[in-house]
Amino acid sequence: MNREELIKKLEEVKDKVTAVEQTTDLRIYLSCEAQNAPGICRFLYQDCGCRFVICSCIDADDWFEVLYHFSYDQLGFIITVKAFIRDRQNPAIDSITPSVPGAEWIEREMHDVMGIEFRNHPDMRRLILADDWPQGVYPERKEAKK
Amino acid sequence: MSWKIKYLKKSPWVFHVNVGACNNCDIEIVNCLTPKFDVERLGIKLVGSPRHADALLVTGVGTRQAVPRLKEVYRQASKPCVVFLIGACPCGTGIFSNGYHVEGPVDKLIKEEDPNAIIAYVPGCPPKPEAIISGVVKALEAI
Repeated sequence: MNREELIKKLEEVKDKVTAVEQTTDLRIYLSCEAQNAPGICRFLYQDCGCRFVICSCIDADDWFEVLYHFSYDQLGFIITVKAFIRDRQNPAIDSITPSVPGAEWIEREMHDVMGIEFRNHPDMRRLILADDWPQGVYPERKEAKK
Repeated sequence: MSWKIKYLKKSPWVFHVNVGACNNCDIEIVNCLTPKFDVERLGIKLVGSPRHADALLVTGVGTRQAVPRLKEVYRQASKPCVVFLIGACPCGTGIFSNGYHVEGPVDKLIKEEDPNAIIAYVPGCPPKPEAIISGVVKALEAI
């Protein structure tokens, strides 16, 4: 696939995507709501043949954003799926680990430090926080940093 | 000078404790043992148990998870025991000072366990092997 074909293939999920933003020739952001993110990630990973790079998470005062970064290595093309979690009290999203195994540990880490619940995750134990860290305290959230 | 201090200075055996280092200082410590610097010719030997050690080489900032282990290792080390803080992190927490996981600096933690502990500082990020050897020599002269 060249670049045009890849962008055309991304149109297949456009009913799940709320906004598409292309910042440079090799970087595209697909915004979506939380319930659609696992489907888009499965599409990128299994149908487009992208490589899962990493997840990241943003605490944006009123909501959380979980960003799944995928790379199409033949072109060096980076696709970021930006999932919005609107419920700040009980943030939850379906895990992508059943379809993308490499996401297992980063989802555990995000669960530790941001307190996001990943449903259907196979092994949601604590990963990086200390054993005596209190339950329900999430160090990378904005209220914890104040 | 007591005979304990005399033999400690003659051939200090060291035990390496990592309490949250980025591994850079650890590499420099291992570098001291390679043929280029070869501290074993000076009688400094890396040992596998704190019970055999005269000195602890502590690297890392002192994370919440590691603090009880560090104190346990210090209690197990045979006294008198010199604690060398290798690198900027154990000396003063360095760039991690405001991290949520940081309990250090390590000298404070060691003094909680033993107020009379002998502590030597080797700052640097990471300190060169020459600096580590120099720090060890100066600390042993000062005892």
